[in-house]
Order: sequence, then structure tokens, then C-alpha cells
Amino acid sequence: MSDVGVTRTRRSLSNGAWGALLLIAAETALFGTLLGSYYYLRFNSATWPPDGVELPAVALPVALTGALVLSAPPMLLAADAARRGRRTAAWLWIGVATVLQAGYLAWQIVLYADDAATLVPTESAYASIYLTLLLVHHAHVAIGVLLDVWVLTRLAGGLTSYRQTTVRVVALYWAFVAAVGVLVVLTQVSPSL
Amino acid sequence: MTTLGRTAARAHVERLDRVWREPRGVLGWLTTTDHKRIGLLYFVTALAFFAAGGVEALLMRTQLIGPDRELLGPDAYNAVMTMHGVTMIFLFVIPMSTAFGTYLVPLMIGARDMAFPRLNALGYWIFLASGLFLYAGLLVGEAPDAGWFNYVPLASKTYSPGLGIDFYALGLILNSIATTAAAANFIVTIFKLRAPGMSLNRMPLFCYAFLAVSFAIVFALPPLTTALIFLELDRQLGFSFYDIAAGGEPLMWQHLFWIFGHPEVYIIILPAFGIATSIIPTFVRRRMVAFPLVALAEILVAFIGFGVWVHHMFAVGLPQVTTIYFAAASLIIVIPSGIQLFAWITTILTGTPVFKTPLLFIVGFIVTFIMGGLTGIMFAAIPFDQQAHDTYFVVAHFHYVIFGAAVFPILGGIFYWFPKVTGRMYRERAGQVSFWLTFVGTMVTFFPMHVVGLLGMPRRNYTYGADRGWTGLNLTETIGSYLLGAGLLLIVANLAWSRFRGAPAGDDPFGGDTLEWTTTSPPPPYNYPVIPKVTSPYPAWDAEDREEDARRLAAGRQVLERGHETPATTVLDADYDETLEMPAASPWPPLLALALAAVVVMLLLGHWTTAVVFAGAALAVIAAWHWKEPEAA
Amino acid sequence: MTALDPHSDAARAITTLWWWMFAVACVVLAGALLLLGIAWLRRRSPGFPLIGKSEGLASGMVVTFGIVIPAVALIGLFTVANFVVADETDAPAASTPLTVEVVGNQWWWEVRYPGTPAVTANEIHIPTGTPVTIVATTDDVIHSFWVPQLNRKVDTIPGQRNRVLLEADEPGRYRGQCAEFCGAAHAEMGMYVYAEPPGEFRAWLNDMAAPARAPATPEQRRGRDVFLDNACAGCHTIRGTPARGVIGPDLTHLQSRATLAALTVPNDARHLSGWIRDPQHVKPGNRMPRLDLGDRQHDDVLAYLESLR
Repeated sequence: MSDVGVTRTRRSLSNGAWGALLLIAAETALFGTLLGSYYYLRFNSATWPPDGVELPAVALPVALTGALVLSAPPMLLAADAARRGRRTAAWLWIGVATVLQAGYLAWQIVLYADDAATLVPTESAYASIYLTLLLVHHAHVAIGVLLDVWVLTRLAGGLTSYRQTTVRVVALYWAFVAAVGVLVVLTQVSPSL
Repeated sequence: MTTLGRTAARAHVERLDRVWREPRGVLGWLTTTDHKRIGLLYFVTALAFFAAGGVEALLMRTQLIGPDRELLGPDAYNAVMTMHGVTMIFLFVIPMSTAFGTYLVPLMIGARDMAFPRLNALGYWIFLASGLFLYAGLLVGEAPDAGWFNYVPLASKTYSPGLGIDFYALGLILNSIATTAAAANFIVTIFKLRAPGMSLNRMPLFCYAFLAVSFAIVFALPPLTTALIFLELDRQLGFSFYDIAAGGEPLMWQHLFWIFGHPEVYIIILPAFGIATSIIPTFVRRRMVAFPLVALAEILVAFIGFGVWVHHMFAVGLPQVTTIYFAAASLIIVIPSGIQLFAWITTILTGTPVFKTPLLFIVGFIVTFIMGGLTGIMFAAIPFDQQAHDTYFVVAHFHYVIFGAAVFPILGGIFYWFPKVTGRMYRERAGQVSFWLTFVGTMVTFFPMHVVGLLGMPRRNYTYGADRGWTGLNLTETIGSYLLGAGLLLIVANLAWSRFRGAPAGDDPFGGDTLEWTTTSPPPPYNYPVIPKVTSPYPAWDAEDREEDARRLAAGRQVLERGHETPATTVLDADYDETLEMPAASPWPPLLALALAAVVVMLLLGHWTTAVVFAGAALAVIAAWHWKEPEAA
Repeated sequence: MTALDPHSDAARAITTLWWWMFAVACVVLAGALLLLGIAWLRRRSPGFPLIGKSEGLASGMVVTFGIVIPAVALIGLFTVANFVVADETDAPAASTPLTVEVVGNQWWWEVRYPGTPAVTANEIHIPTGTPVTIVATTDDVIHSFWVPQLNRKVDTIPGQRNRVLLEADEPGRYRGQCAEFCGAAHAEMGMYVYAEPPGEFRAWLNDMAAPARAPATPEQRRGRDVFLDNACAGCHTIRGTPARGVIGPDLTHLQSRATLAALTVPNDARHLSGWIRDPQHVKPGNRMPRLDLGDRQHDDVLAYLESLR
């Protein structure tokens, strides 16, 4: 794959990037609401988690989130490389990030299945909000991995100004998901802190 | 223009006609990405839902015409009451505002389409699907019946065991996707697609209103979606978000709902403010007084509206420090509304008003909005709220603000832009009569509700006894509702007749100040043959710039005729940035809407696997949507 | 049942607040109508004296009437309403001479007097001139306890005990109604508050605390047996008998009450008979099923219930 020069220059943020930012704004409101609901339920409960429910583990979720956060700089580097017309570099950076993100997702799915087996949402608001918050976050990661596959496929066919925006949009998305991941994991483990 | 100039101009116009032509017939409408066609689709569909909501209203009023009537039993009444609220808010007034914005924003900013034309179409098809889904519930006898704000525990599976609440929750989740998509589209369009020279301080106030509203939507809808997801998890899978026995919180529903619900009411009235600020300068032949203050006020209303939601919960038993804070915030929001009201009144006062139908409706809006706003202020007095809450006094208040501050401007706007959209004039005399019928009908229907509420009549009562002292007032309200219905029917008749038999309107029958009045009626698919030159907030009154446009057309400059092209400009100053190639007709939006609707139907029926399959189909459609790109690799 | 006819200090404070707000609202509306009227009268003359000649003055008018004057008025309203009046209407922090517990149910009110065995439904008796704390809650859906002539409303929320103050100036019967949509029969969930002189109140309370009268005639005895042998005892309590149901109201002193079905129909033999025969016809959607008792059983149980004074 050789690098391709790209001609378009624009002064302001592209429409695609603006659209992505607004989607991120809406999803920020979504996660804000989910996190707010967690704390609302928590501070209206005498015991949290309720009696009989184990405190959440801290080390593994935090470490995994560290991996997710580490996948954001490669995505941003990919966007930068694409902007400069360096297609191979962009493709490789996205590849690195995808490996980290897919690995994160796979491991989190295993942990989630475990949680879903032990926590009983029909019996506690704690289990309800815990499982829902995590599921929504992991769904966002899964969509992100799909976006990675899409970008890798498109880039294999060549680099255009439109695809520069595509890489940037996906990079912005991952920056958002990583940031949310930090807030989610801190909330998830907060009863144990 | 010289003969040579006219020939050259015509050649450019013919090329644009060819490039922007859409498929004919039903297929053309199904696959359209033309913002004007989508606006018309929104308009007609919203109007149909307005009629449905109106029938529901007349059913309720007829049931309440006297004591102990038996037209609707409690179950039927509660379903009609719920559907009336849901229809009017989610299926009429918001989509109707979207209709106005979708049709007019690109025209007003001198663009050829919205920033994301296919997303625009998607929003419409999802809206249609959500409305059909909600009414499917009514048709199969499983309508939601816990009120439009659907409090738990009443709306939980225990106390509402049927499918009605599931229709409500899933239908509104689907609906919220459409609303949010439209909002994102408006923001990017207004930021990026303004004609070169239309800096932010030269943008019409109508567009400021839509900008403010769109940001409000982006942040206000997710709390509702979250609340609904929690509700469905509780109902379908037995989760415990709202179940007090399991550590859940019934009040959490109220908080989440009203964190959405209060900004929602500003989302409802802000576009109408934009319509008012379009009509007033035209009909009083004067620029808007204090333009920057009005723009700022529109943005402030959207912003402060997020900080007042607990004023819907003053009777719930929250700590005094909480309620006091929210009462204060609720009073602060009066100020930006007051700014706008006085700007409008002062503009009318110092201009030369021509009281044609559009301006009449705006004056009716001002009077009704002031009355509704005054009772709203009263609710910020917590002890008074705690008497009047959940009585007909509230029903009066919100019908005055919604009807007055949203519906009247919409009606005025329909008359104002009817000539532009159809190319024909409505009948003025019938228009004025319909205004008076509607205005008097509104007053006779809703004013007595203040009184009957203070006399103790709670809201959401399917009947009342003869000994309560409410009979005469209810009778009056019902008569008023029929008057109001007659006024609205007369409006529809006027427009329907004029659509086919009205006198030709020409480009600019009213001497309007914004760009849409400089193009033909109706506008061609590409809106403007030449991207307009803009140097002030009232471009249609800038004769020199319009002459410059004509010269450019003859010379072939700023025509952008190589494809579906429109310029993108910088956010603040609208300096030319690049030329965008926009998508033409596409089947993907309706197909994606269909896939999402299928997911929702499967979730309703509890067929989880099938829902996942349709979600996969939706992802496939999204991939197909993005397959073809504007640039070859 | 109107907030405009107050019979307590709290309700009076709110009503006075209302009339002041109404007066100011009328002035504001009149002013706006006046300006619009002037605009209509002057519609043929372009421009306007003074403010029409200067953008600055026109903007000044917007600032004065849109910002400054409203700000002053609103601060005044806020202070008076939410500090002065609210003090009158809030339930006192310290305890009051009497506390009454009210539990909202679909679609009736359970009334208890803590410290006594007294339980009744849909009617609250309080002594005049005495601050009474109503503690309101629910075990099913959200209702709202509201007696407008005596004070503001307070919602009943599962898991919460909300308090509102009732203090009647003089004896009387004050009507209330559920004020938060609670399902099918929400419109038929009323209540009475009887304020009576303290001596009469105490006598009433003593009567309510006593168990049910024993049946005096064979018909009443048979009626009691019908009650205990059928579904009745599964939903209703009659203290002094094995009937301990909690889904419907306590019937121990049914005949002390003026109405049936939470103020839906008067409490007399004809209506009680109709209610037992077909409850859904009287109050559609309510939880009481048709029992389809034979005529003799029906008459017997009616006689028994008529005896529960």
C-alpha cells in the first residue's frame, strides 16, 4: 500500500466531524444520565451494594480500562497521519488500536457474563444499574470495533479527503469512549474504594 | 439584464434543473433527500396527527360536557387522555416545528440543502414509523393510559399489565432518534452551510431559534431515552430501577422525565418564537428592535430551561432548600421571555403594522403567551403551586403557553409561507375569520379552566358529580372546543381550496426580509440558481445585493452547477471554505427506518433474537448507506 | 372544595397570595393589551413618538419592561411566596398534638390514628383549632392527599412519609380528592375531613377505636357468616371478627361514614345494596369483584353491614 497525496484543504472542521461531535454530545448526555442514575440510587440507599452482594473487584476492571485508554493515542495518531496523507501509517496505527480495543471488549464480555450470573437485577436496583451501565458502555465499544473494521477496509482501497474525515471521526469517537470508560469503571468500582 | 445575459442565465438554470431532478411519483417521494419535500412530508404527517389529537380532545371535552356522562368510561378516557398528550407533543408540535425548519432553514441561509440530506429523510421516516407504532397500540386496544408523563409505579408492570406502556416507551425511544437526528442536522447546517457573507450576526433570528432548540434537543432527549430504557427493563425483564422493594426509586422516573420534560416545553415554543420574529418585521415594515438581545434571549431560554425541572415536583416532599432553588431558577427564566415579548411589542408599536392573517396570529400568540406566562410565574410561588398543581389550573396554563405560544405562531407561519411553498395566495378574508374563530375558541375553551381548577377540579378526571359546581364551566369549555375545532377546520379548508384555486402569489407577496422571498414560489429543487450575496440580516431588502446575484448568474459565477453542490463556510464569519457534493435521491433512509421499526416491534413482543437480527439488518443498511463516497479513491 | 374558600391560616395565606398575584397579572395583561391596542389604532401612521425615533430608546424600553421591572417584581414574589407564605403552609418540624396517618390506595384512603386501634376509610375527623399532622404514604401507586380549604396538597410516594399540616378554624365538613393520576378510578377517590369541637372529636375517636358491634338479630348473624365465608373477609377487616383483609377499607364502623366508595355514592341501604350487587357499575375499574350472592345471602349481609355503626 503506497501513500497517496490528498488535495483538499479546509479551514473549519468538516461537516462529518461536526456531526460526530454532536453525536458524542448526545451520548455524553446519555452516559451522564446513566451515571447520575447510579449515584441517585446509591445515595438513596442505606447499603450499597445491598446485603449479600459482593463488592466489585477493582484491579482487573481498572487495568482493562487502562488498555482502552491506551488505545486512544494510536487512533489520534492515525487521524494525524491520514491528515498528512500517510495512508500506511494511519492503517497501522488503527490496527494497533483495534487489537487493544477488541482484546478489551472480549475480556470485558467474559467478566460481564460472570457478573450477569451472580448479580440479580430482579432483586436489586444495584444489580439493575450496574449491569445496564456496563452493557451500554460495552455496546459503544463494540460499535467502535465495527467502525475500526470499516475504516481499515476503506483505507485499504485508498486515501481520499472524505476518508481523512472518516478516520478523524472514528478517532474522536474512540477518545469519547475511552473517556467514558474511565468514568464508568470508576463508578463501577466506587463501592470498593 | 441583456439578452445575452438572459440566455446565459437560462442555460445555467437549465443545467441546474437537470442535475437536481428527482425521480417522479411515489418512488421520488420515498427516496427524496430534498429538504423541501421532506419538510412537506413532515408537515402533512404532523397535520394528520394534529387532527388525531384534536379528535381525542373533542372526545374528552364531549365526555366532560356534563356530570356523570357515559360516552367514555374510565379506561377509554384515560387512554384517550394519554394519547392526546403524546400525540400533540411528540407527533404534532415537534414534527411540525421540524417541518418549518427543514423547509426554511436552508432557504434562509442561502444554501441548497441541509448538511446531511439523507439523515434528514431518515428523521422523517423514523418519525412516521414511531407515530404508526404508537397508534397501532391504540388500534389493537392496548393504548398507553398512564398519562403522557407516565409516572411509576402506575406505569410499572404490576399496575399496568398490558402492552400499552410498552407501546409508549418503545414508540418514544424510536421517536427520540428522529428528533435528535434532525437537531444535529440543523446545527451543522446552520454552522457550516450559510451563504458566504452571512456571518453569525447576519443570520435570521428564525435560525437562532432553531440553533438554540437543536442544542437543547441534543442534551434533553437522552434523559428521556434512559428513563424509558429503565422502564422497559423493569417491565420486560423484571429489573428494579423503580421498584422501592428492591432498592429502586419511583421518584427517579420523575426526575429523569422532567429533566427531559421541562427543556421539552422550551423546545416546543422556541421554534415558534423564531416564526414570530420572521413574521413581525415583514408585516410591520421595520427591523426587529434589539436584535442582539433577542438572539441572546433565545439561547438563554434554551439554556436556563435545563435548570428548572423540579418545579413539576413541588408536591412530592423534597427538601425545602431544593424546592427554593428551583423556584428561583423558574423565575429567572421569565426574564429572557420578557425580553422577547417586549422586543416584539415594541417592534409592532414603532412599525407600520399591516394586520393581515399572519400578523393577526402573531398578535394572538403574544396575548395568549403573556397570559400563559403569567400563570406560569404563579406556579413558581411554591405554596400556590401546591394548591394548583394537578388541577385544571395547570391544564389552562400549559394550553395557553402551548396553544398560544406554539400553535398560533405555527398557524401564522403556515399562512405566511403558504404562498412561498405553493405559489398561490390563501384567501385573506377567510384567514381573518379563522383567526378570530380560533382565538375566541381558545379563550372560551381554556380560560374557564383556570376557574374550575381553582374551584377544585383535579386534572385527568374522566367524570365529575353534579354537586361539585363544575358543570357550567365544563359546558362552556366544551362549547369553546367546538368553536376552536371549527376555526381549525376553516383554516384547513382555506388552505386546501387555495392550494388548487388560489391566485398566483409571485415570489414575494408580503415584502419579506429573508432570502426565501428572493427565489421563485415554490422554489426550484436547488433553491437559488446563484448562491446569494449577503451583507445584512435582512437580505431580501438589500436590492443591490440581489442585482449582484442576477449579474453573477448571467456570468456563471457562484452557480455551482457541476453536481448537487452547495458551499460550506466558516462558522463565525461565513467565509467560503469548500464546495460540498450532496447526495441525491436514496433508498437507504426509508430502509433503515423500516429496520429500526422492526427492531422496536420485536422488542415489544419480547422476541429478543429476532430483534437482534433486525438490528444486524440495520447495521447492514448503514454500511450500504456509506458505501458510495463523494470522492473516488 | 375550593382553594378560594379557606378555612385555616395556611389556606388563607395561599388564597391571599393568589389574589395579589392575580391583581398584578391583570395589570400586566392590561398594559400589554393597551400597547397592542395603540399599535392597532396607530397602524396607518408610520413611526412612533420618542421610542420610534431612536433604536437606543426602543432597546431601552425592552430592557426596562423586559428585564428591570420583571426582575424587581419576581424577586418580591419569590421572597414573599417561598419564605413568608411557605412558613404558614409547611408541616411544622416539631410534633403536633395530633398525628393522623393516611395511606393512599387504589382507589380509597385508609385513615389511622396512631396510639389507638382506630381505623377508618375516606373520612378524617380532627379537632378544631388544633394543629394536626397528616402523615401520608402509599403501598401501591402515587396518589396525592389534598383538602384545598385547609392546606396544600402532598403526594403519597411509596417508601416516603410526607407530612402536611391541617388546622381548621371552625367546625365543618371539608372535601378533598386524590390529586395525582392513579389509574382507572382516580376521579372517584374523594375524602371528607370533619373538623369538630375537641370533645366531640374525642367521642368519635373512642367509638372508632372500639371493635365492631356484635350482630343483634338472626338476619345479621347470618349476614356476618356470609361475610366471613365469602370473598369479603379476604379484602376487608372488621375488628372483633376473624375478617382481617387489607385490600379494601376497614368496615368496622361502616355506618359512621356518609358515603361509600370514597364519596362516589351516599351511604344508605339502597346504595349499599347496589354496591354489593355490582361494584363495577357504581365505580368502574375499582378492585371489588361481583360476588353474585343469592338474594337471601345478599339481604343478610346487607343487614349485617347496616348494623356496623
